[in-house]
Formats: sequence, C-alpha cells, structure tokens
Amino acid sequence: MKSKESFLKNKLTWAIIAELLILLVAGILRPEFFSLEINPTTGMLYGSLVDIINRSAEITIIAMGMTLVIALGGTDISVGALVAVAGAFALKFLRWDVTLYPTPGDYTIYPFIIVIAVPLIICTLMGLFNGLLIGKLKLQPIIATLILMVAGRGIAQIATNGKQFTTGYTPYRFIGQGSFLGLPFPIIITIVVCAAMMIFVRKTAFGTFVESVGVNPSASRVTGLKSSRIIIIVYTLTGLLSGIAGLIYSSRIASCDSNNAGVNYEMDAILAVVLGGTSMTGGKFSMTGTIIGSLIIRTITTLVYYFGITSESIMAFKAAIILVVIVIQSEPVRKKLATMQARKQKVGELRG
Amino acid sequence: MKKFLALVLAAMMLLSATSAMALTIGFSQVGQESDWRTANTDSLLAMAEKEGWDMVYDDAQQKQENQVKALRNFITQGVDYILFTGVVTTGWEEVLKEVNEAEVPLILIDRMPDCMEQIDYVGAFGGDFVEEGRRMARWTVNYFNTTEDVNVVILEGTTGAAAATDRTAGINEVFANHPNFKVIASQTGNFTRAEGQAVMESFLKAHADIDVLLAENDDMALGAIDAIKAAGKVPGKDIIIVGCDSVKAAFDAIVAGEMNATIECNPLYGDAVAELIKKLEAGEEGTRTLLHPVEGVFCMDGGIAYDEAGELLSVKAADVIADRKY
Repeated sequence: MKSKESFLKNKLTWAIIAELLILLVAGILRPEFFSLEINPTTGMLYGSLVDIINRSAEITIIAMGMTLVIALGGTDISVGALVAVAGAFALKFLRWDVTLYPTPGDYTIYPFIIVIAVPLIICTLMGLFNGLLIGKLKLQPIIATLILMVAGRGIAQIATNGKQFTTGYTPYRFIGQGSFLGLPFPIIITIVVCAAMMIFVRKTAFGTFVESVGVNPSASRVTGLKSSRIIIIVYTLTGLLSGIAGLIYSSRIASCDSNNAGVNYEMDAILAVVLGGTSMTGGKFSMTGTIIGSLIIRTITTLVYYFGITSESIMAFKAAIILVVIVIQSEPVRKKLATMQARKQKVGELRG
Repeated sequence: MKKFLALVLAAMMLLSATSAMALTIGFSQVGQESDWRTANTDSLLAMAEKEGWDMVYDDAQQKQENQVKALRNFITQGVDYILFTGVVTTGWEEVLKEVNEAEVPLILIDRMPDCMEQIDYVGAFGGDFVEEGRRMARWTVNYFNTTEDVNVVILEGTTGAAAATDRTAGINEVFANHPNFKVIASQTGNFTRAEGQAVMESFLKAHADIDVLLAENDDMALGAIDAIKAAGKVPGKDIIIVGCDSVKAAFDAIVAGEMNATIECNPLYGDAVAELIKKLEAGEEGTRTLLHPVEGVFCMDGGIAYDEAGELLSVKAADVIADRKY
C-alpha cells in the first residue's frame, strides 16, 4: 500500500496524468487529433502528436540544462538570448556577407563543420562565462545571467549587422526540417541529447553532486565537493544545450531572427522543469519530469492552434491550464489526494 | 586634454558656421528591428544626403527613454525639423509638447503616437494597414474569380499591434461582400517565421481543405511555406499564399513559384518627406492629414486588380525584383 501512496505523492505521476488528461480532452473533442500516418510525399510520420514532440525539441533540450541549474538552486535567464546567438553565428558563416553574395541558395561560404561548431563553441563559452560569474564571483544567478540575456541579443545583432540572413543550404536545413527513420530530425537530436544527459547525471556521481550542492553548498564543500566546479560545469552545459536548440530553431526557418529567436524560452524552460516536479528551491531533480513538462507546454500550444482558439484568448487559456496542472502538483493537494486514496483503500479492505 | 577639447569645439563651431545655410534635421528612429526598418532608415538618410541637408540621426535601440532624450537634444541643438517614429504609441505627450513649445516643426513617420490630436505637427507619413488588408482580400477574390466556396486561413500579426488589427479588419471587410470566401481558421503568428510555420502546421492538420493562406506579413508566409511542404503539399499551387510587406525574400519566393503575391508596405518615405520639407521651406502650410506612400501589389504573373474599381493591376514580381531595395 505504501508504494501506491508514494506513487500518488510523486510529482512525476501527476505531470504524466496532467499530460494524458489534456490529450484526452483533445481526443474527445476531435478524435482525428491522434491520427498518425506516413506522409506519401515526404515519407515522414505525420500528425499532431509528432508536431508536439517535434516542436518541443528546443525547450526540452534547454530544459535538460535548466533542470540541473534549478537543482543547484539557480536560474539561467540567458538561454533565450543564446538561442539567438547560435542562429546568428551559424547564418553568419553560411552567408558571411550578404552584400557580396546577395541571393540565398544551396551553398555555404565556410565549411559546414565551422557553421555548426563555431556557434556551439560561442554558446558554450557564454555558458562558461555565466558559470564563472556564479561559481567563482558568487553573483546571484538571476543577475549574472541577466547580463547575457541583454548582451546576447546585441551580439547576435552585431554578427549579422542587424539583418535577417536566410539560407537554402540543404545540410543546414536538414537539422530542423530533415527526417531520419521517418521522424523529424529535431526529435532524433532530442532523444540523443536527453539520453546523453540522463546517462551523464545518473550513471556518474554528477547528479548526486548537483543535488548535494543544491541542498546545502557549504555542507557539500565541507565534505570535499568543489561546489564552484559543479556550478561552472552545469552553466557551461546549459550554454551548449541552448546553442544546440538555437541551431534547430534557425534551421527550421532557414534564417536567423535575432529579435524573435528564443524569446521567452527561459520562462518556458523554467516552467517545463517546474511542471516536471523539480523544486525551484534546489535539490532533487527529475529529468524525465522535465521532458513531460516540456511536452505539456507544447501540447497546450498545439491545442490552441488546432482548435482555433482566438488570438486574444491564447494567454488566458494557456495560463488556466498551467494553473490547474500546478495546483494539482502542489504539496498539500497531492498529500490530500494520496491520503484520500489510502483511506478509500483501507475502508475497502475492512469491508472486504 | 583641455586644448584638444577647445580645438574640437572650435572645429565644430566652424563646421556649423559653414553649414549654416543647410537645413539640420533631427531623426529619432526606434532602432534596427527588421529589414523593413533598415530600409526605412536608409531611405530617409539618403534623402538628407541627396538634398545636402545635415541629418542628426539617433538610433533609440527600442527604448522610449532614449527617444525622449534624443528629442530634447534636438531641441537644444536647435535643429530645423524633427522626424520622429515612436517605439510605442503612448507616453509622448510631454516631450512632444516641449518640441511644440520650442517651435521645431515635427514630422511623424510610420507609427503615430496616441496623442497626435493634442500636438502640432506639419506632416504625418504612415502606412494604410486597413487598405493593405483590403488589397490582400481583393487580390485573392480576383485571383480565384469564382462563385464556388474558397477556404481561407489567416496568419494574423502580433495581437494588439495596429498592423495586425487593421489588416485583419480590412481582410474581413472585403470578404464580407464575398460570402463564398470562408475564413476557416485565423490565428496569430506574431509576425515571425517560426510561429507562422508552427501555426500553419497545425492548420494543415485541423483542416484538410485549405485553398488560400493570407499572412499579415511576409515572414509568416515564408515560414508557412516550409510547413506546407512538410505536409506534402505544393506551396503556391495546392495552397495559394498571399503575404504583406513585400520584402526581398518574398520576391525570391514568388519568383521561385512558392508564393503567389505580396502586398507592399512601403518603407521608402524619403522622397515624400523631402517634398514636404521643400514645400514648407517655400512657405507653404503643413498638413494634418495622414499621408500614405505609394504602394503596389506584386505577384507571380501580374495583372490582377487589387483596388475597388479594378483599375490598379498587380505587377509581375520577376520584372521588378532587381530594383528592390529591401
């Protein structure tokens, strides 16, 4: 009985239930929401469920890093700007100078490896910068990452002279628009990234270190853990992951959009982590929960588009659903539901 | 250091003395946000250069406080004219009244402040968003030229932005007279490619029979093209795509046959502003009516009417693509 009670007390359980409930409502309203087929022209799996997983890729990937950041008791609000930075630098190396090469086409000025590697390295260094400010200089995470949140977009603008570059280079477009094994390629990237992150934190002691620093940094230091090193690694990793998300974002639209790329991604990523059951106070974290959280956010957005909810009421609609999910997940409500369940069981046993 | 400063000051005084004959124009621009805005800035800067006027250009980097500061600087510098585009529509009353009190002629560009009724200005140049919306719908009606049902989906701009609400109003106004054009879905794509793409992706799943897409800017249309391809349909043929703004990328798409039409929203105000300033210098009175720049419609083959009388015909995009500045 105890296992069932703890199962119901688990935040992850409720995140999954919430996601299933939202999908259930969609299925009742329009059963064809679940239709899945192989598209004859593109050979890709086609349907709204695929869209949800595909479009959640950026947030899921960033939120993997954000989960660790939040487990450390921090936040990283620069991730959205880093998405813009990655896209801008990728397009910079694809097009270099649009006055010299005015028409976008299936070409790249610099080798593809540079187009991919340089943005990722820049974002990783920016993550390292965040990590150093927080780990070494002990700045508050929200203040430290605010610097790049503001400066990042500026750097992205400078990289492309404030212009929106577009590209027709097929290998680059493949990242966001291609398919592998019938699945959109961003889904494949997400699976690989999530698997790598989960193995990294759970098969090594790193996850435990993060939780330990998140719960009590000074106690961890006394036991011989270098908390500053852990902090630096986590923020650097988040920078790299934001870079990957940025490449996916810009590849989807085959252009860089420094003003709009990754706007509010920091909020969505934090929300995904929280919906997934990781507490903002730090400590225990759940990567699986974060993936579910990210899916919940995208499911709501997809529903809004699919069911033709008017533009004016999108915000209110999303907020209402998220409020319900968060209330269900809150400590008192979960305890109450779990004890109610336990009591029912006991009454049943006594009667039986 | 002091000597150096004095030298610079002297040089500046000398410069201002020599250019005393030329007009000095202060231009407070919102910043660089899009190719459209860049073209707008470039057009006005080019105007000053062409006319031999001194342009004091201030890039506000999307911040109202920077613009307020710039406007006050223009007053102290004693410029002859002020060109002004506000980053937001509210909160300008105080500083624009100061401009009025300093008796510097004010010319409003593109975005009109809410307080424009209470202030003095000598000219106002802006786009006619309602008309652009009407043109989108009229072009569509004339292109299909049918009494059969046509299913329309709309990608709206940022909710609450004048360009979005007015274009939607214009579209609906025309379709009201053509009930066979049925708007089956309408949703905001926030004027961005990424959201235009994501919204179109869902439209295609929710509605199997979309005939035409009206996107309230070209970026959303360009994003939607990829979504249509991913759905295994042919953009420009299976689904007719109409955009707005006429940016270069839209021309490329039309010439490539992936988009059908784009309604122009012209950022090139330079010539019109120069004409007004010359008139004012010649002693003529300013005007309080909003002046619209000349705008056209560009499409794949050209020749489709977009005004009410059916006199103005769209231009073939491939013919003019080489001359496009933005």
